Parts: sequence; structure tokens; C-alpha cells
Amino acid sequence: MSERTAFMSQMVELLTSTVSFGERLSNMVHLLARFMKVDEALYFGLDKTKETLNLQISSRGALPGQPRLEFPLGQGVVGAAAKTRKPQMVHRDQEGVLLDNAPLEKIQPDFHTLAAFPVADDNFLYGVLLLIDTHLRTFTPSERQAVHLASLMLAATLRQGLLQEEAKKRIAELSVLFEVGKALSSTVELDDLLERVVSTTAKVINARGAALQIIDAETGETRVTSYYGQVPVAKLCPPLPSGGEASGSAEMPFLQGETSDAQGRIHYHLAVPLTFKRQLHGTLCVFDKIIPGGGPQPFDPENRQLMFTMAGLIVNALENALTYQQVETLAERNERMVRNLTVLQEVSQAMLTTVQEERLLDIIIQGLIQPSGLGFDRVQILEVDEASQTLRGRKGAQRPPDAPALPLSEVLFQPLAKELPTSEWQIPISPGLGAMAQAVLRMRPVHQHPSLPQSGAGAPWPSTFDAQEYFVVPLVVKDRATGVIVVDNQASGRPLEPEPLHVLQMLATQAALMLENAHLYSTIEANNRELMLIRERMLESDRLAALSSLASGMAHEIRNPLVSIGGFARRIAKLVEKDSPLRGYVEVIQEEVSRLEKLLREILDFTGENLSYFGDHDLSQLIEDTLPLLQRDLDACHIKVVKDLQPIPRIHCDDRQIKQVFYNLFQNARQAMHETGGTLTIRTYTQEREDGLYAAAAVSDTGGGIPLDVLHNIFNPFFSTKDYGTGLGLSIAQRIVARHYGHIEVKNELGRGVTFIVTLPIAKYCLVKDAGQGAALAGALNAPSGGRR
Amino acid sequence: MKKILVADDEMAIRLLYSEELKEEGYEVYTAANGREALEIIDSVPLDLVILDIKMPEMDGIEALRQIKERKPDLPVLLSTAYGEYKQDFATWASDDYLVKSSDLEDLKNAVRRHLKD
Repeated sequence: MSERTAFMSQMVELLTSTVSFGERLSNMVHLLARFMKVDEALYFGLDKTKETLNLQISSRGALPGQPRLEFPLGQGVVGAAAKTRKPQMVHRDQEGVLLDNAPLEKIQPDFHTLAAFPVADDNFLYGVLLLIDTHLRTFTPSERQAVHLASLMLAATLRQGLLQEEAKKRIAELSVLFEVGKALSSTVELDDLLERVVSTTAKVINARGAALQIIDAETGETRVTSYYGQVPVAKLCPPLPSGGEASGSAEMPFLQGETSDAQGRIHYHLAVPLTFKRQLHGTLCVFDKIIPGGGPQPFDPENRQLMFTMAGLIVNALENALTYQQVETLAERNERMVRNLTVLQEVSQAMLTTVQEERLLDIIIQGLIQPSGLGFDRVQILEVDEASQTLRGRKGAQRPPDAPALPLSEVLFQPLAKELPTSEWQIPISPGLGAMAQAVLRMRPVHQHPSLPQSGAGAPWPSTFDAQEYFVVPLVVKDRATGVIVVDNQASGRPLEPEPLHVLQMLATQAALMLENAHLYSTIEANNRELMLIRERMLESDRLAALSSLASGMAHEIRNPLVSIGGFARRIAKLVEKDSPLRGYVEVIQEEVSRLEKLLREILDFTGENLSYFGDHDLSQLIEDTLPLLQRDLDACHIKVVKDLQPIPRIHCDDRQIKQVFYNLFQNARQAMHETGGTLTIRTYTQEREDGLYAAAAVSDTGGGIPLDVLHNIFNPFFSTKDYGTGLGLSIAQRIVARHYGHIEVKNELGRGVTFIVTLPIAKYCLVKDAGQGAALAGALNAPSGGRR
Repeated sequence: MKKILVADDEMAIRLLYSEELKEEGYEVYTAANGREALEIIDSVPLDLVILDIKMPEMDGIEALRQIKERKPDLPVLLSTAYGEYKQDFATWASDDYLVKSSDLEDLKNAVRRHLKD
């Protein structure tokens, strides 16, 4: 018993020892052989196919060389023990034993007793333990149980070994995956990452080489992005299974194959597709699995599994990279947009702070040239001059070369550092006269590229404007171009980028509106000032009118009795004797009456009553008297005067007012011709009208005529196409003529000139039908008490 | 003897004018308004008319218009306390426009001038 106990304790020691798994097994087999006092103990292991049992361990140590000793399942005593999972014992002299177990003779040629014990645990057969003796042997039940226990321990050791191996493999895989995963989530460049995944895959699978092929999304071409080890060129792009694209199939697609090279050696490859978003993006491929000391091997399902895992990782990495790239592009675009919108918003806000045109222009220009704004080198703003149909320089500036980059919100309100003279800009707005005229006519931006022919050839271009490339954006308000903004980068030679130009266009829309507002505001302000003045004058004249109405009423009431008193006093004086004391009294009355009448005249003069100087006058003479007042102005404008003045009956009129009429008409003609020069023709004649004979005067100019759209306005007070003047000239003329019961007519010949015809009634030969209306008008214009009572 | 009509609503003026004109050797008729004046014009072959403007019933301007319609060649002088009617086209048909004054020399000169024609 003590011997068996020692054996058992030794076995247990081996079972729990830390020596290597193989060593433990052979020690156990050796120990068992010694304990059982047999010539030899062998261990046959069941191979992976579970069909064959291979000799793996011998208690005597060294194993015979190739071919290896093996028994198919069920054959010989070893095969039978494995198949039945029960101990088998035979003797040499039993029938068929020698035949069945012939291979054993290579180890023990004269074996006699063979006892085979299955090595198994509850659910798994690992192999068979065979005891060989050259003598006839039997085993006691105690001995059998010892062998059974030993075989159980062997099974346990084998199981442990298997598990350990499995665990090692799993750990290795896990650590690989962990490494790759770590790399994926790190900031490693995509190319490095793929390289690493490919090499790791090859190493884990023990492949001779591995390659990653990616399909270019744009061109559709396949290219190898990473490879490791030896990659047979012929096998670089194995055709992919069509299932690779239809990833819906339940089985994960893969491609496995073998080819033989020139030397007749067989090569294997295994490829898995990289798919994401239902699209094939490439393949991961490994070539020739190598086992130590052996040739190329086919790939097993575990390898495939790993390949799919790796493919998944690569897809993830690619997806991440793509997403990251997209996010980066988006972020970059966003950043630019935000910057541009910020510029737009800041300039807009700054523009809102003022209604003064000059300040607005400064803000706009600063926004365009500042480095923190849109950063153009040079900006010029031109405005449309409606009257002359030209683009005139309004304001321009250049960015000083050493401009510090200050925040836009600060710099917008600073005065322009390097203003440019703009007076040279004066471009007629007509097609073919350059990009600026074009922009106005089309009301669209014009980009003058350096490669295009300079379209301004022949235009009166300022000599200072030397840009090869520039951009013109029109300022459009209510379907009307009011000006243009011209930007260029000539100084630095940078090309004009599309994005700032885009922002410029948005800015121009708003700038146009703000400038128009400012313009309207200043017009309104000027009009308001004028209206205030007129209102004051009217109030003043109202007060005077009230006063003079009172005074003249009283004066008239007094005049009649005064005439009687004075008149009769004179009569009395004639009757009174020269030396009568009455004479002195009468003279006092006469003198006092004269004094009162003089006072009366002065009062009535003051109230305006007697200020009109109506009399009979020669119209031609009045015109002759008026012309010298303008002669110098006419000469200065190179206007020739042609007179055709006929003798006509005198008219009843206020000569000063009629002179005023002609003065205004001549002045108007001069203004129409002041740029071009021309001829002023004056003709007087008599004219028969329905109600009688009129004196007529025709005043013609050669100033091109009045545009049809303003023709109906010309007699309106304050209407003017000119920047100067009150717009009252023609209106006053018309009123004076109406007050004289005359007419004023316009003959407009577009492209040639205008003729004003003034007709005034010759009272003796004229019964003016609308005299009542005229009188009413005259009354309305003559403050105190016009009209008949 | 030349016949002159003086039309004025003020009796004192009528008296003054007729005294003065009679002294000058004219035959003088008087009327207190335009309507009376027209009646006399229709019945008497006059040589000259002196018209006040502001009169009741018919004023001098209306009277002037009717006189010129009936007798375009009969000289009519307007004699009024008001200066501003000079601008009224309706008064332009008169042969003279005189603002009243206690000194009647202007009036008498005008009468002489128009009767000579």
C-alpha cells in the first residue's frame, strides 16, 4: 500500500507542478511504467480529426522517427480501447492479436502482454495509455484502479494543457485586438494605422504576407494602400466574390483559394471584403499560412474569423477617417462662413449708426480694405450721375501697406488712412465702355479677369487705375443702379478669391440701401429747411397782410371825405378875398388835407397797394431791356442770341414783372445749354386768338429738350432737374403771365430743344373771357384786397 | 358845350366834381351808381364819363364794361379811392385810371386830354 500511496502522491505532485505541460505528461507516463513494473508505457493521442491515434509519448523517452506510429480508431488494442472507452487487455498468443497490433513490434518486437486504458474525462477522450510487457502479465484490481486513476490524472493534465493553449491563443488575439483598438482610437494617422492592422493580421495568422486594397471612391480604381511581408504580385487583386457587394447575405463572404507557382508549390490566399454603408470599399487579403518547420498551409475558420474582425476594424477606421475629414472640411467652411458673416454683420451694424453719406462711405470702405474685414487692397466707390449719365468717382481708398490688424469693430469708425483722389473717374454709361458701365447697365457684378481683354479700352479711364483683375459690383436700389463698388488686389498681386467677393455682393445690397437712405435723408433735411424758411416767410407775410388789410381799409374810408374836404377848401380859397382873414384858415385846411393825403399814400404804399407799376409797354422793348442782364452768362456758355423782334401794339402790364418772366425763361434756356452751348432764339409777333389780339414772344433753346417723364412737372414749384436753383423759375413765370391774363405754352422737341411761347393780351383789342379767373388768381397773389368789391 | 357824366355814390364828391367841371365850361350830369349812369348814357349824348368804382347797386367796373359794349368810343375815366384795381384786367378797358385826390388838377387835365381827341 505504501508503494501505491507513494506513486499516487508523486502523480498528484506532477499534476500540480509548474513544469511544462509536455514534460509533466512524459513524467507521468514514465512514473506509471515504473510503478506498474512493465517494460514500456505509451501514450497515443487522438488527433483533431478524431479518427486516428498517434503515438506521442513513450516511457522510454525517445520516439521512433518517421513514419509515426498510429492506429485508426477501432483498430488494434489501442483503437479498441479508444472506441469502447474501456480498458482492453490481450496476450500475444491470443488469436489475431499479433496481426492487429503488428505496428507495435517496431517498439517492442517481443511484446507479450498489451493493456490499453482510455484517457478520458467525463465528456472527452484525449487518447489511450498502453502498457506493454514482454511476459505474460495479469493486473490485480488494485493495479487496474491505479492505472485508471493515473489515466484520469493524465486526462486532467491534457485538458489543462488544452485549456492553457486555448487561453494563450485567445489572450494573444485579444492583445492584438486591444493594440489595434488602441491604435484606432489614438491619433495615429490613417495610413500608419492601416499599416499596423495589416502587419498585425499577418503576424497573428502567421501568414507570409498580407495586403490591403482600397477602391478609390472617385475613380473606382483599386489600389494597394498597405502591405506586409511577401505579397505575390499575381495575387494582389483576387477577384472579389459578388456577395461582397451584397452584404445582405447571411454568410459573411470571403474568398479562399490556392494556386501553384512555377516550382509546383502550392500557395494559399484568403480575402475578406471591406464593406460599409452597403458598399464595397476594398479587401483585406492574407497569403500563405506558415507553420514552423512546415510549408504553406490552408487557412482555417479561426483565421477567417480573425480576418473579419480585422476587416471590421479597418472599415471602422476608414469610416472614422472619412467622417473626420468631412467634419474637418465642414468645420473649416463653417469657420470661414462665420468669419465672413461676422464681417457682414459688423459692417451692417456700423452702417446703422449713421445717416451721413460720408460716414457711411468710410465705414463701407474700411470694411472692404481692412485685414480683419474682407481685406481687399483697394476700393473705389463711383456713383451714377443721372443728369449726365456718367459714373463719377465718389470715394476711394487703399489699404496702407503697414496696416495693423485691429478688430473690425474698432477700425470701422476710423477715418480712411489712405484716401484716393476720385475726381478723375468720369465714365459715360454706355455699352462697351468697360466693366463699370457694364455693371451699371446690367445691374449685375462684373469680374474682370486678368486673362480677359481689358474691356475698358477707349474709355476715359483714370490714369491711376492700373488693375489687371478687378471686381465691380453695382449698388442697386429699387431696380436702379445708383453706383458701383470696384475692388482689386493689384498692390499685393493676390488673386480675387470667390468668397470675399460673395460677401461683397451681399454687403453691396445693403450698402446701396443705406446710401440711398442717407441720400434721401439729406434731401429731406434740405427740403425741411427750405419749407421752414418758406413757412416763416409766409407767417411774416400773413401778419403783414392782416396789418395792411386793416390799414388800407381805414385809409380808403378816410380818402373820400378827405377829397371832399380838401376839394371844397380849394374852392373856398378861390372865392375868398386876398386879404380876408378867412383865406389863412382855408389855406390851413388845404395844407392839413394835403398832409393827410400824403400820409395816406405812404400807408397804402407800405401795405403794397400801390406797388404795382401797371402801364402800357412795348413787349419787344421789355425783352431788349432784359437781355443785357444775362449777356455775360450767355457768353460764358457760348450761347448765341438770335433776335427777331417785330413792332407790336403796346400791352398793359407791370413791366418789372414781365421782365422777370423773360429773365427766368432766358435763364432756363441757358441752363439747358450750359454744357453744350447753343442758340437762344427770341421772336416777338402778334397773335390772333379766339378772344382777341395778343402780343406773343417765343423763346427757343437748342438744349436737347425736356425728358418726357418730367415734362408735366416743369411748372410745379420746387421742381428742378438741376442741383442748384430753387425750381421756382418757371413756376414764377407762369404765375406772372397768368396775372396778366396771358398764356405760357411749351413746345418740346426731344433731341433738339424747347420753345416757350408767352402770349399777353393787348387790352384794347382783347376781351379776355377768363378774366374773372385771372382776376381771382391775381387777387390771390396780391395780398391785401384784390378783386373787385 | 361838352357833356360829362360824373358817377359817384358820395354826394360830396359829385358836388365837388360838378362845381369844378362846370367852372371849366362843361355841362355836367351826375349819377349815384352804375345803373343810374347807364340810364343817362342811354338818353344823353355824352362826351365823357367819370366813374367811381366802389358804388352800390352797380359798381364802376360793371358799368365800364357795359359802356364799352354800347359805346366803345365814349371815353371813360376811372376815379377811385383805390389804387389796386389798376391790376384788374377789367379796368384796363378804361381810358384812364386816376386815384382820387383833393387836388383836382390831374382829373381836369385828363378830361381835357380825352376831350381833345
